[in-house]
Amino acid sequence: MHSTRRDLLATLFSAAAAGKLAHAQDEPVTIPGKRPMIVHNDRPEDLETPVRYFDSWVTPNDAFFVRQHIPRPAPIDRESYRLTINGMVSKPLQLRLEELRNLTQYTIPATIECTGNGRGFYTPKVPGIQWLRGAIGNAEWRGPRVSDVLKMASADASAAYIETDGADVGLASTPDFVRSIPMSKAMHPATILALSMNGQSPDIHGFPVRLIVPGWDGTSSVKWVIRISVAAQPNNGFFMNPGYRYPKYGLTPGTPAKPSELEVIEGMPVKSSITSPEDQSKTTLGSIPIRGFAWAGEQTIERVEVSTDGGSRWRDAELSNPKLPFAWRLFHLDWRPGDPGYYTILSRATDSAGRVQPFVAAWNPSGYLYNAVDRVGVTVERPA
Amino acid sequence: MKTLLVLGVLAITGLAADQATLDRGKKEEGRVCLPCHSLRLVHSQRLSKATWNKELDKMAGWGAKYQDRDALLEYLVANFGDDKPPSPLAMSLDGSSAK
Repeated sequence: MHSTRRDLLATLFSAAAAGKLAHAQDEPVTIPGKRPMIVHNDRPEDLETPVRYFDSWVTPNDAFFVRQHIPRPAPIDRESYRLTINGMVSKPLQLRLEELRNLTQYTIPATIECTGNGRGFYTPKVPGIQWLRGAIGNAEWRGPRVSDVLKMASADASAAYIETDGADVGLASTPDFVRSIPMSKAMHPATILALSMNGQSPDIHGFPVRLIVPGWDGTSSVKWVIRISVAAQPNNGFFMNPGYRYPKYGLTPGTPAKPSELEVIEGMPVKSSITSPEDQSKTTLGSIPIRGFAWAGEQTIERVEVSTDGGSRWRDAELSNPKLPFAWRLFHLDWRPGDPGYYTILSRATDSAGRVQPFVAAWNPSGYLYNAVDRVGVTVERPA
Repeated sequence: MKTLLVLGVLAITGLAADQATLDRGKKEEGRVCLPCHSLRLVHSQRLSKATWNKELDKMAGWGAKYQDRDALLEYLVANFGDDKPPSPLAMSLDGSSAK
């Protein structure tokens, strides 16, 4: 009896302790430098931009999404910072921040989208951050070209890849975050080492140096860059293989891919998202702006069509300028519904390569590249 | 009557055992997962038992050392299974003026 009672007390105690822990987990957090964001994880930070902040071509830094695979590195000192360039180079370098600033600086407007943006829309559910529409943002990145840095180091022209490592390191046995890109993309004039983001310090987005690989999945744009190695082969660590690979052939939803049939993700697909009205919101009869953004990786957006009747009839939305590869365009349609009621609004983008957003995004085990025609429901009411 | 009583006792102990497993699973979650990441990462997902099981294997490869793996799996499935309603979205407080 005594033993049972002790067990019962122990159970109650551990339940209380666990409850306290769980409660602490649920308490709201404040992320320095960020407006209220959707928190998928606060340690490390995985923060989604609420769609209502997407009302400008440039996404302000304080509203820009954050994806951390592993915790942020310890604060980096501007003076002692060095960027190592090594591997297949005849002049290995240790570049100071000042030296990077002294190279010709280029401004590249580029949309960065997390490879798993929209994962939460896939069925069956797949593991990973359950992003909806907001693991994406568009910024003006500024810094020297990677090609200029590689020339300084006299990189071997026959090398096929560069490998980029950030200052962050994994906890326990979590693998280090290292990514490779082919030399052809590294040498592209828009591939830069960003020292600033929208004219400000990149801070949580990779201070002091972030690789920007325009048009490719966000994971390619390594933060806190401290080393670039010129290599004959791509890195084969977790974040290159099996991480961030996509099945070559369509899979039956819910089934695994053969490792040999997975490919590294490069350019992003064509996609549009509706940012206003918000899904399942209410509005009143009158002029209702339908707004959103569309981008297509390395292509440009040529057209966005909107339907307010579930896809029966489509109208062309107005598109913002400039029309650029790598950067999104905002779309806008003034809608004047004649009647109150519930409406299903859809958006569908077409790009310069002729790609059209599909009605159904191809299910894949990691939930990458979600780009189905977007859909929101809205209730239109008579004015009170 | 006696049979009913026995069945009743069995039912209660059965439930108690279940709850004890879930409690152990929750404790295991705090012990194993919290050192590397917040529990929001776990609690925001809705996965099948087979998928949670694979996640536990993946985390073991990344350094998670389980003492009560089965209880943790039961706890995850019971609370964050793919039959559960989606997790409500959590918002952070305004930190835009903080550095």
